[in-house]
Amino acid sequence: MQARAAIRRSGVAIGAERTVGEAARIMERAGVGALAVVEDGELLGIVTDRDLVTRVLAARRPADARVDSVMSMPVVTIDADDDVNQAFGLFRTHGNRRLPVLEGRRFIGMLSVDDLLINVIGDLVDLVRPVTAEAIFGHRDSPTPAYR
Amino acid sequence: MQAQVGDQIVIRGHRIGEPDRDCEVLEVHGEQGEAPYVVRWGDDGHESLFFPGPDATVKHLHGAAD
Repeated sequence: MQARAAIRRSGVAIGAERTVGEAARIMERAGVGALAVVEDGELLGIVTDRDLVTRVLAARRPADARVDSVMSMPVVTIDADDDVNQAFGLFRTHGNRRLPVLEGRRFIGMLSVDDLLINVIGDLVDLVRPVTAEAIFGHRDSPTPAYR
Repeated sequence: MQAQVGDQIVIRGHRIGEPDRDCEVLEVHGEQGEAPYVVRWGDDGHESLFFPGPDATVKHLHGAAD
């Protein structure tokens, strides 16, 4: 599966010149915990709800501080055409929970640990279903060739 | 997904009890109605770039078909 197909939620991006106050309100309105920070469509960094807590509230920065002054960068990314299995390695290696998905240099969406978990659990359910049916209804023998 | 200026995009809630969200398309930056879109969130007018995922559907409010 390609990374682009594993994205389960819409991605939201904000311009680098916008304020942290606006970022917080957009996160609340859009129901997301991270925004891509872009300039001319290209990804500069990401700002997360945790960034707003630790780099704005805890640091006593004003709500009109620029969002690019508190964003996380450089950002580990994955190409939209890469196999999603590469994302497992990136999450493991870098310890982050979100991975911007790029098409060339352009942001197209955000892949999260949650997305991968949901996909893995979906695969497990598909595997468990026939086993469960067998446990409940008994073993189903495969048809044997007819004897002549 | 294809959208045009004035359409509404609805993003379904991801958890039980979480409300759906919606935004209005202000600009279409992709070709032939494709994403990304500049959208406005709610009444307070905050704008962002939006890249719809499988959780989003478009409501055409001006009579065009999806």
